[in-house]
Amino acid sequence: MNINSQEVTTFILAGGKGERLHPLTKDRAKPAVPFGGIYRIIDFPLSNAINSGLRKIYVFTQYKSLSLQRHIREGWNIFSRELGEFIDMVPAQKRIGEEWYQGTADSVLQNMNILEDERPMYILILSGDQVYKMDYNRMLWQHIEKKADLTISVFEVERKDARRFGVLKVEDDRITKFIEKPSEPAPDPGNEDFCLVSMGIYIFTLEALIRNIMDDAKRTDSTHDFGKDIIPSMIGKYNLYAYRFIDENKKETKYWKDIGTIDSYWESNMDLVNLDPLLNLYDRSWPIRTFQEQFPPAKTVFSGENRKASVTDSMISGGCIISGARVNHSVLSTNVRVNSYCEINDCIIFDNVNVGRYSRLKKVIIDKNVQVPRGTEIGYNPEYDRKRFFVSENGVAVVPKNYKW
Amino acid sequence: MAKKILIVEDEENERILYAEELEKEGFEIKAVPDGTVAVALVEKEEFDLIILDLQMPGLDGIETLGKILMKKRNLPVIIYTAYPQYKDQFLTWAADAYLTKSSDLSLLKEKVASILK
Repeated sequence: MNINSQEVTTFILAGGKGERLHPLTKDRAKPAVPFGGIYRIIDFPLSNAINSGLRKIYVFTQYKSLSLQRHIREGWNIFSRELGEFIDMVPAQKRIGEEWYQGTADSVLQNMNILEDERPMYILILSGDQVYKMDYNRMLWQHIEKKADLTISVFEVERKDARRFGVLKVEDDRITKFIEKPSEPAPDPGNEDFCLVSMGIYIFTLEALIRNIMDDAKRTDSTHDFGKDIIPSMIGKYNLYAYRFIDENKKETKYWKDIGTIDSYWESNMDLVNLDPLLNLYDRSWPIRTFQEQFPPAKTVFSGENRKASVTDSMISGGCIISGARVNHSVLSTNVRVNSYCEINDCIIFDNVNVGRYSRLKKVIIDKNVQVPRGTEIGYNPEYDRKRFFVSENGVAVVPKNYKW
Repeated sequence: MAKKILIVEDEENERILYAEELEKEGFEIKAVPDGTVAVALVEKEEFDLIILDLQMPGLDGIETLGKILMKKRNLPVIIYTAYPQYKDQFLTWAADAYLTKSSDLSLLKEKVASILK
């Protein structure tokens, strides 16, 4: 099937506050949170779109979008407007409303002028804060083949874990029911232990999208959200299909993460330094791109008996210098300096951090632009850590951006 | 109690005509000449229906519709315009009816009656 990708406009909803990722989201929207050393979370959906040949992209932002805007301006300015390609940031402009977007559908309603001007045949709606690899074109093929009005990408999760998602009931992949966060999730027919949950990835045919957003806009009992309001109201009246997620990550277990908490954030980063990580960043057939400032290669210095640099099971980004220190099982962003006699274990360190001599850090996330003083210990005395920093349920301490000792 | 209708129409003659005709039907009418005034009024007063012209100076009918929609989500709106071509402006799909103006007001009256019944 030959589909003209010009007929698809992509909306990336990047307004999420990500409150449970606090303090990483204190100054930045969740899609702008760094991930895997050099990436930001939004690089994943953006790379997926590019790899799927979709190059008409609007990114809807609202809260704390400065670092997100800067990242996209500096890193994703690769489109040719002459060829009809673009990535445009759409801040909440309050064109017709005077408040922030009330729900995901409200952000589309308030920017209806975009659809009016573009008039694409299909609209792909994505969330800007999930980590996964997906070819949206395959989903589009199914959407067209089934003559669907709405196709929802679905992920199989174990029934016991399905309660926090939007769960679908299907007959031959035709959606017959959709319930947000059900107490008794309906199983996938033929696979009783699993449920099909919505990934928050939608393809709408233009008219179905507009009609339903307009109908929903008039409802006072609505929260104007795709998952909670629009999709349930469409069932029975429109052709709704589930698309079973095909993972371009090409591992045995499918990978799709909505990184909700500091603990799951820490675990997803630690996965990357495993021998065989669940998320493969090294597959050249599905590259994930990002913005990278130019830095010299990562470097280690000192190889003496007592003063020796050692880096094991870690990812070290450009511009880093590990000087006579031990770094183990950690992810370091660009321009990090770890000085002599330090011990760094199970840590995630963001850009422009300097760790002073004799420091010992275990299970710590250090946000950008922090000078860690000589002899600092974090991760060895939970009670003391909790007095100074946010510490997660599983004991991950977070030193916030620009923290001053 | 009589149902209350807000008419938004920049042409004075038409505004008066619609108001008189609908008052005869027993409705309470307010009629204003522009969108900005209409939006402010909708915030202050309760209406049961709005009859909205599209081509108006200042805030046009479609922008007015958007702003009213954001303030009073379920307030019924009839678009009453001389121009059928605005139908492909998506925001007009939020209106409960889109009628093209005619010298015979019976169609408008019927629509008003069916929405307010």
